[in-house]
Amino acid sequence: MLSEDGLRQSREAEAKWQEDFARIARRFGVNPDEHRRVTHSGIALKPVYFPHDLERDGLDGVGAPGAYPYTRGLYAAQYQLMPWANQPVIGCGLPEHTRQRMDYLASQGMVGYFGSRFYNLVYDLVSHEGLDPDHPAARGRIGQCGMAVYGKRDMATLFEGLDLTQMNVVHITEYQTHPAFAQYLAYADERGVPWEKLRGNTMNWYHQAAYVGNSCFPPRSAMKLAVQLIHFCSRRMPQWNTTNFFGYGVEEAGATAAQEVGIMLAAGAAYTEACMRAGLGADEFLPRFGFQIAQANDFFEEICKVRALRTLWAIQNRERFGAKDPRSMHVRIHTHTSGAVLTRQQPLNNLIRTTLHTLGAALAGVQAMEVCGYDEAIAIPTEEAATLALRVQQIIQEETNVTAVSDPLGGSYYIESLTREVGAAAIEVRRQIEAAGGYVRAWETGLVRAMVEQSAYEWREGVDRGSRAVVGVNKYVTDSEPPVPTFRVDPEAERVAVERVERLRVERNQSRWKAAMEALHREARAFAAKQIEDLDGDYALIETLVEAARADATTGEMMGALKEHLGWGPVY
Amino acid sequence: MPTRRVKVLLAKPTHDSHDRGVRYLMRVLRDAGMEVVFTNFLLPRELLGVAVQEDVDVVGISSSSGGHMPAIEEVRALLDASGMGQALLLVGGVIPEDDLPRIESLGVRRVFGPGASGADVVACIESEMDRRES
Repeated sequence: MLSEDGLRQSREAEAKWQEDFARIARRFGVNPDEHRRVTHSGIALKPVYFPHDLERDGLDGVGAPGAYPYTRGLYAAQYQLMPWANQPVIGCGLPEHTRQRMDYLASQGMVGYFGSRFYNLVYDLVSHEGLDPDHPAARGRIGQCGMAVYGKRDMATLFEGLDLTQMNVVHITEYQTHPAFAQYLAYADERGVPWEKLRGNTMNWYHQAAYVGNSCFPPRSAMKLAVQLIHFCSRRMPQWNTTNFFGYGVEEAGATAAQEVGIMLAAGAAYTEACMRAGLGADEFLPRFGFQIAQANDFFEEICKVRALRTLWAIQNRERFGAKDPRSMHVRIHTHTSGAVLTRQQPLNNLIRTTLHTLGAALAGVQAMEVCGYDEAIAIPTEEAATLALRVQQIIQEETNVTAVSDPLGGSYYIESLTREVGAAAIEVRRQIEAAGGYVRAWETGLVRAMVEQSAYEWREGVDRGSRAVVGVNKYVTDSEPPVPTFRVDPEAERVAVERVERLRVERNQSRWKAAMEALHREARAFAAKQIEDLDGDYALIETLVEAARADATTGEMMGALKEHLGWGPVY
Repeated sequence: MPTRRVKVLLAKPTHDSHDRGVRYLMRVLRDAGMEVVFTNFLLPRELLGVAVQEDVDVVGISSSSGGHMPAIEEVRALLDASGMGQALLLVGGVIPEDDLPRIESLGVRRVFGPGASGADVVACIESEMDRRES
């Protein structure tokens, strides 16, 4: 708190500044009273900030890194003793192609916490759709945008020789979360690794169907799947990170920073309430929630967004849900630099953009990062582009000294003020969703989608009008550009993947597979009739999925059963 | 000006989550006075069913996750086989340069890549419709 004298001096300094600014503005022919800049979220900025700006909203100081409500970071030491984890998204072609990229990036210094290996693995479009590679709709999509991993045997190719207990595996799925996870658990069994020793993430991204257009299970079924997975892992695999709140998808779909935070707070509240209805205590599952958050172009607002999310999540979980464990209040963030703001035009410019995004995320103090390849608007990153993306992280981590101080921007009048403003705007978004019946209802009615789409429209209109600059697209346009190398999935991948699944169907133990699939159908039908409250300790569906995986059922076959009994279709 | 409202089908594979562009385009085309139908499709024949039923003038396929080529090839073949070969076929999204010659050879009039403006799509459709009227 400022003393009365301090407050007066601060106000006087601002008045003096305003005179100086007005004089200069008039020289530029600008009316100082009409001079306004706004953030991407539409928050009006003051042209300069002073100590008394920190006095608004009764904020009592700015707190400390590692102390509730964690505005300044989750940990006292932040990056000083251990930098953020490098988590590039990996996945292309057959499992062996993906493994090649994993090993290559590891050899280039990609590192997780405490020197361990982190593998952030994305499944391909065929797996996302819940199909097998020999389905007609799989043509052209095998190993595209992810790895062609459809079963336990593919897992074996992917992880051969790696110590499953010494690494962290993120399974980036859409709605095949349960079957893909079951494949991993069955594979761990085969390797003799107890499940409670596995570390990593399931995305549990069902909530993203509110703003991402892929086919999905209907919201009520999807929520039950999410809750069951969280419940199961909380009791059986306490080291496993159950859920990732996909704020990235919100902002990539066109939303503003404030909407990204507000929508994630509402989604988080819906998951939390549902888990508690299924009999879990807040501190049993909240510590294993995480976030994937975008880092896009509005440099300071994106930093303040992260700080606001940390604050509001901590308050929501402590005040509303009664969490006591600090880990339950932590927003552990995996930053994904924005792909939507990258351009196909003058693609090398994207390296500059991603560098700024990465620096912003570092200044915000996040836990892990994926930096986009500069060729993201062209195709899946080439090895060269993926290496450069890793180098962006390494240069910022090791050459710039930005890791030397916890929360280096803390106390900036501007940063602290904007953090609160973004937070207030996010609270308003959460309020709108909850006033409309809560997140699941707003997902069903399309409210979340409508919010995001309106912002996407406004953004693009700004680009077309020229009020939002995109270098190379609406400014400094060049006629011809030297071509950049384009990544291609091995053209043989499709044929090989189909052959493998055909061979699997012949070679597997038919009676065991048949029995496992019958059990899965039975349990999926039963699951469809259950309520969230029934899921307290009921893991039957997950157990039958794991048994199906042991019996060499494919992810596509398992998804077929789930789709049949739980419903499935385009979201809109 | 065309004598009836131009009818456009925009379609995107169900497993392609990058739908920001195509959803934006829906609104732009509607604002330009066109009638727009949107569908996700798993198999191209689903898309074709909608195209025939709605008797559309334009079919726009959006793809941003790769693997677009078989879908475009099949849509072309299905349009021709069902007497809709004259429909204006457009593609948008993340399409590598190397694919462009093949896509053009399938009679796709334009490929709108990242950064393309909605106004360009409107202009492309209108000029083609005008040309056909006259």
